[in-house]
Amino acid sequence: MKILLIEDEPDLRKSIKQYLHQEGYVVESAADFVKASEKAGVYDYDCILVDITLPKGSGLDIVKQLKDKGSKAGIIIISAKNSSTDKVKGLDLGADDYLAKPFDLAELNSRIKALIRRRNFDGNKSIIVNEITIIPEQRQVSVKGEAVILTAKEYDLLMFFVSNKNRVVSKNSIAEHLWGDDSDQMDSHDFIYVHLRNLRKKLMDKGCNDYVQTIYGIGYNFKID
Amino acid sequence: MKLISKTLLYYLLISLPLLVLAGLFSYFLIKAELRDGTDETLVSEKINAEKLIRSVKPTSIIYLSSDSLSNIRVVNNPKMETKLYDTLIYDLEENENISARILRSHFTVDKINYQITVVKTTMEEEELLEGILTTFTLIVGFLIFAFIIVNWQLSKILWKPFYNTLSQLNKYDIKNHEHYQFKHEKTTEFNQLNDALNKMIDKIYSDYVQQKEFTENASHEMQTPLAVVKANLSLLMQSPNLKEDEMDRLQIIENTIKKLSSLNKALILLSKIENNQFNDTETVNIKTITSRITNNYADVIQSKNIDLELKLNDDVFVKMNTVLAEILITNLLQNAIRHNKDNGLISIELKDNQLSVSNTGIPLNIPEEQLFMRFKKDDASKDSLGLGLSIVNGIIKLYGFKINYSHSNSLHRFKVLFKKDLL
Repeated sequence: MKILLIEDEPDLRKSIKQYLHQEGYVVESAADFVKASEKAGVYDYDCILVDITLPKGSGLDIVKQLKDKGSKAGIIIISAKNSSTDKVKGLDLGADDYLAKPFDLAELNSRIKALIRRRNFDGNKSIIVNEITIIPEQRQVSVKGEAVILTAKEYDLLMFFVSNKNRVVSKNSIAEHLWGDDSDQMDSHDFIYVHLRNLRKKLMDKGCNDYVQTIYGIGYNFKID
Repeated sequence: MKLISKTLLYYLLISLPLLVLAGLFSYFLIKAELRDGTDETLVSEKINAEKLIRSVKPTSIIYLSSDSLSNIRVVNNPKMETKLYDTLIYDLEENENISARILRSHFTVDKINYQITVVKTTMEEEELLEGILTTFTLIVGFLIFAFIIVNWQLSKILWKPFYNTLSQLNKYDIKNHEHYQFKHEKTTEFNQLNDALNKMIDKIYSDYVQQKEFTENASHEMQTPLAVVKANLSLLMQSPNLKEDEMDRLQIIENTIKKLSSLNKALILLSKIENNQFNDTETVNIKTITSRITNNYADVIQSKNIDLELKLNDDVFVKMNTVLAEILITNLLQNAIRHNKDNGLISIELKDNQLSVSNTGIPLNIPEEQLFMRFKKDDASKDSLGLGLSIVNGIIKLYGFKINYSHSNSLHRFKVLFKKDLL
């Protein structure tokens, strides 16, 4: 999987690169509009992460350029401006997703995975993690062939864990993933625990291993050996 | 009270007593003058009578006038002093008392004592005085009337530029600043006023623009550094062998970053609302939105053991931006959750065009009027940003809705009065 990261802030570029690299992606990066436009024009990528405000140009123009040349790459806009106009403009131009800064790397990772999954029509339509099978298109989960009925939030939580398996995800990032902007005003994350407890119980009832490790103080790790 | 009425009132308050005083003064002055005239006539008549006595030396009564009131008679009694006095005389013809002035004096010629009596009726003088007084009153009345009319009209003309400026100032809306320019006036003072106002609103406007740009730009600029910290924190969390106290610290840093970025987002939102950047309005059903949002928060409410009473009776259609409608209701609900207590209650009622959100909780410890101000928050809620209700208020003001807070039966209640979309 090849990803092009277009971001002018070097420290952010470095950390995104590192995180995605650990996920097994090949990540190339560009720091300004000209270089980004060059790379996007010459090479093919599976996914392109593009910042809107760039030196020497706008990220939106890169989206336009990619669409004009008929690129099949998934495009995620990452912007400091969480403005609905930019979002609508970006999506209208053909971007697939929009993520406002400051975002969580785990969130970015799960968005990339979802995007790539949606784009790979020819590939596997299901995700298999040991005894757990997930069919994202139908939001169906089964353990050892037996269907598990999950609520919407439990399903989203499981997908978030699976996308970020073997990684520590903080309670904040889970809250942000499940409740979006609404999580801003929440001062406690107790209610995450309720969903987690229910999810664990439903999976284990069907004979699934308990993969969720509690990381003291921080959050959880969905650990698959 | 209007300026014109006030000016006139003061004029009248000062001029009326003055005019009355002047009237009284002239009355007495004229009266005294008239009396002097009468007296002089009487004295000269007396002198004539004395001349007559010297030449004729009468022995019996002599009538000096047809009405026989003025006369010269011989008297025995010794000398008396000359007297001048007012009296009333009965007039047979007119059948009434008329006032008159009498001069009585004594005159001795060749040891014969004469008494001279000269009388003059003062009716004409009184009539004259009356006439003068009436004329005076009429003139004064007319003057006051004319004065009021002239002043009224004059004020209207003179103060017109002022009233123009005033009405323009009343209509001033900083968001449409370009349409406001106070005109050049011919009257120096009003021109100075308008110049000063022009300068003032220009300054206010440029400060306003600068401030709104600053808030938004500063908040945007902060998002990228925050993203850097957040990303590196995520990476740091992945490192194995973290000690417990290190994890605690990471958690604290993460929470703080989250709070900072929420604060940032809220400030951006607030300035966007205040800058009227949510232009697209549509007809939204408050009932649908409210039920969707409460649904979304069901788990949060449940985890705090709060009872939720939902009475969404009517469909309420309101013309506004959908995103802002959602933010409005979300913030009210979040406020009710945050400031609640364990095993508390939230009651949401939608009726007519009124949405009320009530919750249990400890009494307010900030003054009620500060409730909607930025960063004014209850000491007990340290995690609160103190912007939720400011955002609510911003949205309410943007659309001309009304909101009020009340506290009764240990329930905090926010009531929003929407403007109904008449479709």
